[in-house]
Amino acid sequence: MKIFRDTILLFRRKMMETLRNPIYIIMSLLTPVLYLVLFSPLLKNLTNIPGFSSGNVMNVFVPGLLVIVAFLNGLFVGYNMIDEVRNGVIERFRVTPTSRFALLAGRVLRDLVNTLVIVNFFAVIAIPFGFKIHIVGYLLLLVILSLVLITTSSFGNALGLILKDEDRLSPIVQGINLPILLLSGMLLPMELAPKWLQYIAHINPAYYAVEAGRLLASGHILETKVGIAFLFLGALCAITVTWATRVFGKAVA
Amino acid sequence: MNIFFLPKELLHMDSQVVVIENLKKYFHTKRGPVKAVDGVNLRVGAGEIFGFLGPNGAGKTTTLRILTTLLVPDSGDARIAGFDVKKHPDQVRLHIGYVSQAGGADRPATGLENLILQGQLYGMTTPTARARAQELIRLLDLSEFADRIVYTYSGGQRRRLDVALGLMNRPTILFLDEPTTGLDPQNRANLWTQIQKLRQEGTTIFLTTHYLDEADTLCDHIAIMDDGHIVAEGIPADLKKQVAGDCITIGMEHPAEKAPQLISLLRKADFMREVKLDDNHMRLYVTDGAQAISEVLRLFAQEGVPMENITLSAPSLDDVFLRQTGHSLRDINAQGVNV
Repeated sequence: MKIFRDTILLFRRKMMETLRNPIYIIMSLLTPVLYLVLFSPLLKNLTNIPGFSSGNVMNVFVPGLLVIVAFLNGLFVGYNMIDEVRNGVIERFRVTPTSRFALLAGRVLRDLVNTLVIVNFFAVIAIPFGFKIHIVGYLLLLVILSLVLITTSSFGNALGLILKDEDRLSPIVQGINLPILLLSGMLLPMELAPKWLQYIAHINPAYYAVEAGRLLASGHILETKVGIAFLFLGALCAITVTWATRVFGKAVA
Repeated sequence: MNIFFLPKELLHMDSQVVVIENLKKYFHTKRGPVKAVDGVNLRVGAGEIFGFLGPNGAGKTTTLRILTTLLVPDSGDARIAGFDVKKHPDQVRLHIGYVSQAGGADRPATGLENLILQGQLYGMTTPTARARAQELIRLLDLSEFADRIVYTYSGGQRRRLDVALGLMNRPTILFLDEPTTGLDPQNRANLWTQIQKLRQEGTTIFLTTHYLDEADTLCDHIAIMDDGHIVAEGIPADLKKQVAGDCITIGMEHPAEKAPQLISLLRKADFMREVKLDDNHMRLYVTDGAQAISEVLRLFAQEGVPMENITLSAPSLDDVFLRQTGHSLRDINAQGVNV
């Protein structure tokens, strides 16, 4: 079917772009190494603090970081989008009978593959630092991360297409980035926060991803929080993808 | 083009590739509506190079974007190869090629990869797309750099690749939006040759430009657009004939205030057809330039009016434009207005 073929064709185009950019690959893989080497030693003495009581500090810390990786890998793709809009690439595709959904999906799929490579690399090198992988829980965690990435990448791409200018994109993306990161408990669990902050965190999709991620990483699969996270993130992902596809269909690129 | 895909109405249209009827597109801004395209009617015949001329902001690009399905018009009709742009955008897309001002080549990929992907997106199999890409690489002399990453291309090389991308699907009509803007004279001339070659191969070409010489040398048929309207349309030579005789242009500041006496004398001269004045020029349209110029010089000397320079020229499209709109295309372009 044309929609699948177009998606694969456009995915291959973006994937080649990644593979031809060794600096990007090296920097992406270096980030987890830096977190593990330069930040994880600080966590050694946190075992008696709320949120870390499960016993394994790394199984609290690593899932949070994996959500950060997925979140940021998608959110900032708008810059690349703007570059292609400016060079007429998107307009050229829009004058061909290419599926509008594929224009979005090809890009998101590339971001997804990149992110899954980084995430798995991160998880594996975290093992010597004390991260324990529970296979089923970990696989479900990958699904959570994929939902986060698909949502942020679709959003980031559509935003780039609408704004068409880095100076307009920057404040919006940065403005979204910081509160969502701070209120997700990615770096420190939200159990440490005062009650009012915990209430606000409940409207933050990334908070559910992080909470469910931690449970899944420790092998707690049949938890209400996990179910809520799947529902919430799944719905948000579906809404964002639908909206972004419409933006690709009608935007004046 | 496969004849079996032609709709019935096309068979009665005596080879009009583009038919535009009363096309309108307004943009709504904070300062009120901007009438970008305000009632345009046009026809482009098969196999011709059609030049769409006008200053920046005249509405050329908006019209082009409607014809290439990127914008939906507010009202009016536009049909490409018989297909309505509003009702059958997918059919229109199959029949057109479009090269935007920005170009559109993917820079981290090679020229060949760009071409093959373009063909595949039109539904070609990979071998078919590859064969078509090789044809265009020969036609547009891309072989030297087709396997290099586009980032390394010069401006002229990129333009040629952009044109090749627009031709991958063997379009009935190729739209070129200001194809030579930003190219040096040598690359401009080179691209003109390529465009003429395409016409010989039977492709209809619709190009926008704000270069008068480009429209003059390249186009079989032109339309001049200003402020959302078509102000003149026809064969360049015919349009120029509307402007009588030759043009003597005299460079001087504020001629209307500085030399009223001289101007009334000039207006009475029997060779004079028309006198046009602006802040920096006096333009005299005369029947026989060679004879008139000595008489003009004599009158200037007699009245003691200094001039900065004087040129005699056959009428250009700028003169046509000036006549139709009351302002010079060169002056507008020099201001760099971009709406």
